[in-house]
Amino acid sequence: MGVGRAGSGWDPGKPSWVSQDCSGTVVLVNTATTERTSSPSAVISAVAVSKSWGSHQVFSDVTADVLPGVTGLLGSNGAGKTTLLGMLLALHAPDSGTLSVLGSDPATAGPELRMHIGYAPEHHNLPNDVAAQDLVRHIALVHGLPKREATTRSSDALWLVGLGEERARPVGTMSTGQRQRVKLAQAIAHGPKLILLDEPTDGLDPVQRDDMLALIRRIGTEFGIHVLLSSHLLEEVERIADNVVILSNGTVRASGRIDDLRTGQGGMTAILDSGVEHVAASLQRSGYAVTIERNTVRVGTNEPLEQLADALRDAIAENAAPLRRMEPVKQTLEDLFLDEVYGS
Amino acid sequence: MSNASAEIFDRGYRAYEGPRTGIGTAMRSVGVSTVQRALGLRRKFRFKIVPLLTVAVAYLPAIGFLAVAILLPTDLAGQVVPEYAGYFGLINILMVLLAAFVVPEVMGSDRKTGMFGLYLASPLTRWHYLISKFVAIIMVMSLVTMLPVIFQMVGYSFLEIGPDGFVEILKTLGRIIASGFILSIFFGLFGMAASTFTDRQLFASAAIVILIVASEAFTSTLVDQANAPDWIRIFGLLTMPANLIARVFDETGVDAVRIDGLSDLGSLGVWLGFCGAFVGLITFGYRRLEVTK
Repeated sequence: MGVGRAGSGWDPGKPSWVSQDCSGTVVLVNTATTERTSSPSAVISAVAVSKSWGSHQVFSDVTADVLPGVTGLLGSNGAGKTTLLGMLLALHAPDSGTLSVLGSDPATAGPELRMHIGYAPEHHNLPNDVAAQDLVRHIALVHGLPKREATTRSSDALWLVGLGEERARPVGTMSTGQRQRVKLAQAIAHGPKLILLDEPTDGLDPVQRDDMLALIRRIGTEFGIHVLLSSHLLEEVERIADNVVILSNGTVRASGRIDDLRTGQGGMTAILDSGVEHVAASLQRSGYAVTIERNTVRVGTNEPLEQLADALRDAIAENAAPLRRMEPVKQTLEDLFLDEVYGS
Repeated sequence: MSNASAEIFDRGYRAYEGPRTGIGTAMRSVGVSTVQRALGLRRKFRFKIVPLLTVAVAYLPAIGFLAVAILLPTDLAGQVVPEYAGYFGLINILMVLLAAFVVPEVMGSDRKTGMFGLYLASPLTRWHYLISKFVAIIMVMSLVTMLPVIFQMVGYSFLEIGPDGFVEILKTLGRIIASGFILSIFFGLFGMAASTFTDRQLFASAAIVILIVASEAFTSTLVDQANAPDWIRIFGLLTMPANLIARVFDETGVDAVRIDGLSDLGSLGVWLGFCGAFVGLITFGYRRLEVTK
């Protein structure tokens, strides 16, 4: 299971996280035993990775898994997102710990591994006097595609990103939105298994941003390409990502499926027709933190969901309160981020 | 009911599971792109001016010498037209143009436009990249250092004023190629080293021209005005490769740029030392470059 808190922020006193397996069964994950090992299905795994630039510690004992699909790499500016991307590309070696990307160690399989990775950097600089198709084709060739494949695939990639008609235009004459698309096209043209996108919506207006996010989502779902999307914008990650890795202060504060993370954080709620106060009193007697809002009772924050669900069910039954609905509280990604980074 | 069948040829973007070529193809692609950029191919006309002018100027003397040799009787032509080592004197100057204006363009632009980062995110390493660039630069420079002189030699041979016999032709060809490499490698590495520390083409170009002029002026002043030993001239960045070429052709005439007090091996050692220093600077500079920013 790739869900859990990770890195040096791990506190054995805190309860385990809840996750859901493929059959839909809610299971409790004993993070104390799984945290230091990588998941076999993970696209990227980091175990106890540390990295510093001179005296500045960028990462400290980071452990996390990136699961298949579209993953958002969230963190404020300077959180180490770009450094992490560099380490995944084997451009920087970690000071300690082990990294695994697509099942290989970047330190030993660097060139072979990079053949299967696409990368779109954050900056908007590209050679101004080169036609988009020439640039994309050149990068495809450099990634080992035969000439004929590089030519046809660069054209296909540019059509996919919506620049089919513009492919002969020099990149210097293109808008920021079009340049971002060219960067995306060159990242996917060689048929990678994984693409790393560094702030792909930077500099785009809202309409362009929506289009770009839809395109990234499509690439991640239709073509079987795993996407790691670095961003400091929570809303865009929440819109298109299946998974998230939250970086802060050199540690991974949370990682896993967004739905699982959102579900496991806020406790349980029950909407009752009456008897809200009685149910709340029963729960408080059992030692749970309870809040009431109109006919809704909310219990717990950090306790395991199963435990909360049992306690809530027992309290409702004990008071014979008519129940309308009972469900785990789902946080927004923003709640989760703020809670992980600033709240705890 | 029609029996017509249809087949979709354009399937659009799809996953790629086919074969991939190795690092060699990737390096060749970077090299080809560098040669195109250096010669201004597939670029605006203003980018073609310096390389095309340099190549044209390099070939003009060879064409002129051959024209003179054709017009004059064979005996007289053999005495009038210059030998090969003299031709390299002109080429030496043209190398400054290529080192100062073409090499910074092909090196600095990759960093300025972020292409360097994209290359390193591919199977290429820094060293693959630098080797590709170096080979491409040497190929472009060889257009100026070797081919005009080979053209001159072939022309002389047809006019019967060139090397006599197969062995002599091979020997002369070997000397021309060796001299071409001496100039191409020296000025190629010099240009790359100067371009390593700045993305701005103008700064690198100015640094190259200033270093060459200053080194020549300084060493000449020391030797001519301060009675310093002649070997000091080896630190002149034009004189040093010219001295080695004079030794390759075994030129001893008054026009030969041959430094007294230095052996053939010593001359080669100094050339290797300079080239090694340039390689060290390039390695140092590129090792420190941050690529994911």
